[in-house]
Amino acid sequence: MAAADTPSASLRHHDLCSRGIRLARKMRSDVTDLLDIYVEQQGLDASISVAAVEGVPAAAAERWAEQTGTQRLLDNLAAYRAFRVLLAQMLEEQREQLGDANGELGPALAAVLLQVSAFAYHLEELLELESRRTPAEEGSEPPAPPRLSLFEQKLRGLGVLRELAQWAVRSVRDLRQLAKHGPGSSAALGLADSQ
Amino acid sequence: PQNLKCVTHNLRKMVCTWEISSKRRHGQTEFCYNTNDLPPLCFKTKEKRVEIPVPESFTTVKITTYSISGAALATRHFEIHKKDISFVPLAPHILSLTPDLSTSTLTLKWSDNGSTFPYGLDASWEIEILRKEPMENVTHESYNSKLTHEDIVHSWNWKSDMPLECTSHYVRIRQYVNVTQFDGHKVWSDWSPLEVVPGKDTEPHGSGLFPQDTVVAVGSNVTFCCVHEEGRQVQRMSYGAKDYPLIRLSSRSSAIRVLNASASDASGTNIVCRMSENGMDGTVLFVGYGPDIPQDLSCETSNFVIIKCTWKPGRASGLYGVRGTKYSLFESVSGKNVSCEVNEMKKERVCGFPVLADQKTYNFVLGVSNPIGQTKALLLVDLNQRVNPETPEKLTVYGNSSTSVHLRWFINGSFAEIRLLCQIEISSGHSEQKLHNVSMPGGKFSTYTAQLNTLHPYTKYQFRVRCSAADHFWRWSDWSGTEKHTTLEA
Repeated sequence: MAAADTPSASLRHHDLCSRGIRLARKMRSDVTDLLDIYVEQQGLDASISVAAVEGVPAAAAERWAEQTGTQRLLDNLAAYRAFRVLLAQMLEEQREQLGDANGELGPALAAVLLQVSAFAYHLEELLELESRRTPAEEGSEPPAPPRLSLFEQKLRGLGVLRELAQWAVRSVRDLRQLAKHGPGSSAALGLADSQ
Repeated sequence: PQNLKCVTHNLRKMVCTWEISSKRRHGQTEFCYNTNDLPPLCFKTKEKRVEIPVPESFTTVKITTYSISGAALATRHFEIHKKDISFVPLAPHILSLTPDLSTSTLTLKWSDNGSTFPYGLDASWEIEILRKEPMENVTHESYNSKLTHEDIVHSWNWKSDMPLECTSHYVRIRQYVNVTQFDGHKVWSDWSPLEVVPGKDTEPHGSGLFPQDTVVAVGSNVTFCCVHEEGRQVQRMSYGAKDYPLIRLSSRSSAIRVLNASASDASGTNIVCRMSENGMDGTVLFVGYGPDIPQDLSCETSNFVIIKCTWKPGRASGLYGVRGTKYSLFESVSGKNVSCEVNEMKKERVCGFPVLADQKTYNFVLGVSNPIGQTKALLLVDLNQRVNPETPEKLTVYGNSSTSVHLRWFINGSFAEIRLLCQIEISSGHSEQKLHNVSMPGGKFSTYTAQLNTLHPYTKYQFRVRCSAADHFWRWSDWSGTEKHTTLEA
């Protein structure tokens, strides 16, 4: 069922998209700074390679160009909900491991977590504008983090932040796609857009 | 028959062996011996060894060999003196070899077979530890004990310089018994069979970097090992940002040795093992200090509800979070124990302990511990001598007189058991600041009053008040807020 394409809905859709783009850009820059702090505070080699982190949706999407607007929003929402859980776990791990000595890392992590939560909420608003019911979050209790050694924990955190940085870039591109077309035209968006 | 040799394992019996030089095939051998002028004892044997009693001084032996058909071939006489006999204890038997992976400690248990020997013999033991492929001696340790005619189980610990997971550790033991009253030749026993604690590098899929997430004191030497699956190679191992030379332990385990480790950052120092086929494993080492003895431990109460203890932590441990230094306050008179919430980053440390009913003296033990060590500080406190009252509140000044005023204030606390001394500061524009002391019985969360006379009429005054314990002064409270009042005209 497509949303009615009234002028006010279009205006609101455009506003949400552009605000979303600004939020994603800000998040991107903050996550980049956070990555530097994280690598430095965790004593990691910035070039260290990290395997894909379980529970983190990959930003690289196959046939990205063919995705419908709703699919983009749903993918983004799933990702940022996952990041919200993962960042909260990281914050807890930092408190446990570093206590009061978490320096800049704790506050920077908390700030990005706030932004991720805000962005997820923003995506829910956009989905509602598409007259789509926002998918319920899976269960109230987030899955317990896997039992990892401290080094694995450090690498996992690095993997999460790297993927989040990628997602922030993708979200900007996704929202630009959405902004080109009004609400409710998402079903045809992918095809029209890809010819 | 020639080269007769006798060896005893228990000083009571001895095993004698000999050789037969002729190439001819022979049947049985007759062995006759007599000890201490007793009639000779003879018996036949196909072996070239017999077990006979150890003589008091000497034994004469006659050995006759026979052909298959029973004809005597050769006879030889021997005299065996005590000094010709060798005493070789039996190889010890290891009862158990138990690893404690958390402390990299091996515990060896064995029986000393003391019942074999007469009383009071000094026994020396040599314990050898081997490692690596091919096996190398790691250390030779000595241990002494007294044989007491009973079989005593001995237990001996050895802390490895590397995690036991790194590679298999082998242990064997041998014994020497110093039998002073035995003239014969005394030698070490054979080694016991090797006992082994297998390393992770022997498990089919064993792998990992060890030790895992451990804490050591600054200055420690630490060995890290990278255990990997068959077929992989360790290419390099780094501690922090620096690569270290690899030490091969086995085909599936390589190590590095870090000497005199310096303090790590709060998040620890990473040890990374890079292997072929993009393999990587890692662990984290936390290097810090044991807790310092708390300095300037002091306890006081401001309200007879909570006792507040403060101290200076001394040198920072460099360990944080779950590895941070923990403080607990134990009071031995009541047996009560309180754990203290502490902020590592703040210089001063504070801990609250409840004032207990009907207890004036408190014998505090401030316990301090972290993964590297523990220490404590003691303090005996007579609470009545450590009263630093809360700041007086709600000071009001009233009076309709030209030369006197009443002051009233409230102190949050229960001081019913002591007398209070309060000091009123009187300031006015044109005369010097005055202090007026007044003492009064303490109350329970109550209001206090005082009257000031000999003031000047029609004068603007400012008052404030502070209090302390009257009988055993410890500290003044902070000053209350200031209250203004103008006396009436005369």
